[in-house]
Amino acid sequence: MTAERPPGGTRPLPTADPGGVSPASGAGSGRAGARWSRRATIIAFLTPALVLYVLLALVPILQGAFYSGFDWNGLEPLEQFVGLQNYREALADPVFLAALRHVGVILVLSLVLQLPFALGLAVLLNERMRGRAVLRLFFFLPFVLSDVITAIVWRLILQPAGLVDHTLGAAGLDGFVRLWLADPGIVLYTVFFVVSWKYFGFHMILLLAGLQGIPFELEEAAALDGASRVQTFRYVTLPLLGPTIRICVFLSIIGSLQLFDLVWVMTGGGPVGASHTTVTYMLERGFERSRFGYGSAVAVIAFLISFAFALTYQRLVLRRDVAGALTAMGER
Amino acid sequence: MHRRIARTALLVGLAALVAASCGGDDDDAASSSDDGASGSDEPVTIEWWHIQNNDPGLSLWEDVAAEFEAEHPNVTIDITVYENEAFKTAIAPRLQAGDPPDLFQSWGGGELEQQVDAGLVQDISDGVAPWIDTLNQAAVTMYQVGDAQYGIPFDLGMVGFWYNKDLFAQAGIDAPPATWDELLTDVQKLKDAGITPLALGEGDKWPGMFWWAYLALRNGGPDAMREAGETGSFDSEPFVAAGEQLSELIALDPFQAGHLAAVWDGAGGQAATIATSGAAFHLMGQWAPGTQNANSPDGQGLGDKLGWFPFPAVDGGDGDPTDGFGGGNGFAVGRDAPPEAIEFLEYISSMDVARRWGETNSGILPVVIGSEDSITDPNLQGILAARADASFVQLYLDQAYDPDLGNAINDAVEQLYAGQASAEDVAQTIADAAGG
Amino acid sequence: MAAALRPRRLTRSAHYVVALAVLLVVLVPVIYAVLGGFRTTGQISANPVGLPRPWVFDNYREILGSDTFWRQLRNSVVVAALTMAVIVPCASLAAFALARFEFAGREAVYALFTIGLLFPLTVAVLPLFISLRTADLLNNPLGVALPQAAFGLPTSIIVLRPFFRAIPAELEEAAALDGCGPFRFFYKVALPLSRPVLATVSVLAIVSSWNAFLLPLVVLSQPDQWTLPLGVTNFSTQYSSDTARVLAFTSLSMIPALVFYVIAERQIVRGLASGALKG
Repeated sequence: MTAERPPGGTRPLPTADPGGVSPASGAGSGRAGARWSRRATIIAFLTPALVLYVLLALVPILQGAFYSGFDWNGLEPLEQFVGLQNYREALADPVFLAALRHVGVILVLSLVLQLPFALGLAVLLNERMRGRAVLRLFFFLPFVLSDVITAIVWRLILQPAGLVDHTLGAAGLDGFVRLWLADPGIVLYTVFFVVSWKYFGFHMILLLAGLQGIPFELEEAAALDGASRVQTFRYVTLPLLGPTIRICVFLSIIGSLQLFDLVWVMTGGGPVGASHTTVTYMLERGFERSRFGYGSAVAVIAFLISFAFALTYQRLVLRRDVAGALTAMGER
Repeated sequence: MHRRIARTALLVGLAALVAASCGGDDDDAASSSDDGASGSDEPVTIEWWHIQNNDPGLSLWEDVAAEFEAEHPNVTIDITVYENEAFKTAIAPRLQAGDPPDLFQSWGGGELEQQVDAGLVQDISDGVAPWIDTLNQAAVTMYQVGDAQYGIPFDLGMVGFWYNKDLFAQAGIDAPPATWDELLTDVQKLKDAGITPLALGEGDKWPGMFWWAYLALRNGGPDAMREAGETGSFDSEPFVAAGEQLSELIALDPFQAGHLAAVWDGAGGQAATIATSGAAFHLMGQWAPGTQNANSPDGQGLGDKLGWFPFPAVDGGDGDPTDGFGGGNGFAVGRDAPPEAIEFLEYISSMDVARRWGETNSGILPVVIGSEDSITDPNLQGILAARADASFVQLYLDQAYDPDLGNAINDAVEQLYAGQASAEDVAQTIADAAGG
Repeated sequence: MAAALRPRRLTRSAHYVVALAVLLVVLVPVIYAVLGGFRTTGQISANPVGLPRPWVFDNYREILGSDTFWRQLRNSVVVAALTMAVIVPCASLAAFALARFEFAGREAVYALFTIGLLFPLTVAVLPLFISLRTADLLNNPLGVALPQAAFGLPTSIIVLRPFFRAIPAELEEAAALDGCGPFRFFYKVALPLSRPVLATVSVLAIVSSWNAFLLPLVVLSQPDQWTLPLGVTNFSTQYSSDTARVLAFTSLSMIPALVFYVIAERQIVRGLASGALKG
C-alpha cells in the first residue's frame, strides 16, 4: 500500500509516537482507501493471534460456563439441564469452601512471607559480594524444574523418617519433627513451603532487576543527607521499587489462585482434602468422578474469583504506576 | 508480505505433516483392530493394559503374551503396565474419548456396568461360551451385566488379615483373634509391647474403606449390603454400627505414623511398613505378599514369618462370619477389540496359565476350576479355603457401586480416620451421596 | 566513615551465611535426587541420608537404555518446538499491531489478551478436551501445542508490546520514506531489533511447555505420546516401590531443563527484567 505513495510522501504511516498511527490528515480522496487498507493491515496483524486465542482459550472458557448448567458425565448426550444447581452444590460443599480457604491462606502467606524474603535476598544480592552471579543462577534454578519433579522429590524428602526428619534430628532439633504430609493441620503449610522453594527465585530476579534500575546517586544523596540505611531503603528504594513490587504481588496472587500441578502430585489434595486447591478439587470431584457439569461450575467460580481480583487490581493498583508497569505504557 | 505468507504456510504445512505422521500411528492401530473380522493373516494388534506392575506377575504376563504371539504370528500384543491408582487416572481419558484399550484391567461390578451403559465394552457372551464354565462362577458373575458377559476374571480372593508371626508372639498373642473384641484386645497388647499394631495406607483411601465395609458386612449381612446398593440405605443401623466399631479401633491410635498420607504401594507405605516389620498386621487383599516383597529392601519380605487369618466375627451382627469381602482381577474387553483378544483371554484362562499363576504364590488366586492345588503357600491356601467356604462375597464398595458413590464412600470413611466425622455423619454422608 | 564500615563487615558475613543457608535449601533436594539414583532402594530404606555405597549405575543405565525415556524426551521436544513455532509469529504480529497502530478498541483488544493471564488453563481443560476430541486432535502433539500457545499469548504479548513501542519514530519515518510498508517494516526492522526479547518469549514458551502437566495429562492418554512430566509421574507410581529408580528417572528428566536453563539464563533474566519493567 505505501509502496504506491511517491517517495518523500506527505504522511508517514505508522509513527512511533506513543500513540501509534496519527489519524488520517492527508488528502481527502485517498483517505477512504487508505483507511480500508490500514484496517486490513491491522486485521492481518491481529488475526493469527486472535483466532488462536478466541478458538482455543476464550471459547473453551465460555463452553465451560455452558456445561456448568448441566448434570453431565461426558459420555451421554448433554440433556440434563440443572441451572444453577451445580453452583449451589459447590458453594455448599465444605470441602470446596475449604479449598477456597486454602488458596487464600497460601496467597496471604506468599505476600507476607515469600515476597519479603525474596526482596531481602534481592537486596542482599544487590550488594557487591563474591559469587553473586553464581548465587543468582542457583536461586533461580527451582523455578526451571517442573512442578511435577519438585513434587516427587519433595514428597520423598518429607516422608516420616526421611531426609528432612533426619536433618532435623542430626541438628538436634528432634522436637520439630512433624508429619509434614500426613497431618491435616500442617500439610497446607508444607505445601506453601515447597511452593515458596520453587518460586522465590522468580520473584527475587524481578525485584533484583528493579533494584538495579534504581540510580545509585539517589541512594547516595539520601545517605549524604544523613539518612540511615533503613531510612534510605524505606523512603527512597522502596517507593522506586513500587512498580516491580506491584507486579510481583499480581503474579504471586494469580499463581496462588491457579496452583495445581505441584499440589496434585505431592498430596493429591489430601489428606482429607486438607491441601485441596480450587483446581485439585475440580479435578478430583469433577473430572475423576465423571461429573463434567459440576467440574465446570467449580472452574467458572475459580475463574470469576481470578477475574474479579485482576480487574480490581488493575484498576486500583497498576494504573497508578507511571513508569514501566504492564499497562501504563498506553495511558500517556 | 508475501514472504510472511509463505512462511506461515510452510509452518502450517509442517504442522499438518507432523500431525499426520503422529496421528498415523493411531490410525494404523485402529484399522488393524477393526480388521479383526478377517482371516488370521491380517496383522492384528491387541492393546492390553494390566496392573501387575511387580514381579512375578510382570514377567509372567510378558511370557504369556509372547507365547500367544508365537502361536499366532499375525498378532502383536502391546502391553502397558500401570500401578493400581495410576491406572484409574489413566483409563479415564481413554474411556471419555470413546477409545478403550482392547483388554484392560477391570474389577467388574458397578464400574463395569457404567462402561456397558456407555457402550464402551464388548458383549463377549458368545465368544466365551465354549469355555466359561471352566471358571469359578462367583468370579464370573462379577463381570456380568444383565445376563451378558463383558469381561473375564483371572483372580478371585478375599480381603483378610496378614500378620507378622514373630511380632504377635512378642506381644504374647497365641492365636489370631476370632472376634472383633479380641482384635481390639490384641491391638492393645501390641501397643503395650511397644509394637505398632497396624499399617494403613489411608492416603489411597480404599485401604481404610476395607475396614468399614467388612464391619458393615458383619453387622448387616448380605441383605443389608444389597439393599443399600439398591435403595441407598447407608444410614441404616449396620452401617452406623460399623462406623462406631471402627472409631473404637481408631481411638486406640493403632496405626503407623503418617498413615493418613501413606500410600499402599510405595516408599513409606502400608506394604513397606509391614515388609520391614514396622507394624504387626494389616487388612488387605490376596495380593498383599507380592507387593510387600517388592517393597522390602531385599525383595524377600517377611518370608515364613507371614501369616493370614480371616476377618473376625462381630458379636450381635446379622452377618455370617464366613461372608467374604473382596474381589479379584479380570479383563474387560473394549468395544473395538478384535476377536483375537477373546482368543487371548481363552489362553489366559487356560489351566496351564492358571497353574503357573498359582505356582507363583504371589496372591493371585486363579479361578480356573481345578487349578487350586497349584498353590502351595499355606497363607494363600487359607484364603482359598475361606473362598470355598464363603456363601457370599461382597465386591469392594468402590467397585460395586458407580464411581461417584464409590469415591464418596472412600472420602467419607477417610474423615473417620482423621477424626473429623462421627459414625452417624459418615453414614449420613454416604446415604446422601447414594440418594442424591 | 570508619564507624559505618565496621557494622558493614559484620553484616557482610551475615549476608554470606544467609545466602549459603538458602543455597543449601535450594540445592540439597536436587542433589538428593541425583545421588539417590546412584543407590539401590535397599540402601535408601536402610539409610535415607547417605552417600551411595557402593555406587550403583544400573538405574541410570537401564533408563537411558530404554525406549521410554528417549521417546518421552522427544515428545516433549516436539511439543515445545510446536508451541514456540506458533506463539512467536502470532504474538509478535499482534504485539506489533497493538504497539504501533492506533485504532478504536485497541486497548480493549489488549485487555482481552491480558484477561487471558487469569484463566488458569485448568478452567478450560474440560471443554478443551471435548473440542480436541471432536477435532480428533487427542493423542497428538498439536492437541497440546495449540492450546498451550493460545494460553501463552497473553504473557508473550505483554512482554513484547513495550519493546515494539520503544522503536524510535525516526526509524519508522526513514523506512516509510524508503517505501517500506508496515509488513516490511515489521519483518525487516522491528523483528531483528527485538531479537533479544523474542528470544526471551521463546524461552518462556519452551520452559512452560516443557513443564506442562495437566493439559498433556488430559490430551495424551496413549503412553507412547507422553511427554516427560507425564512419564515421570507414571514412572514414580509404576515403580513406586523402587525409590532409587524413581529418583534416577526424575534426575534424568531434570537434565534437559537444567542444561537449557544454564544456556538461556542470561536471556531469561534479562528479558524478564527489562520486559516487565521497561520505563
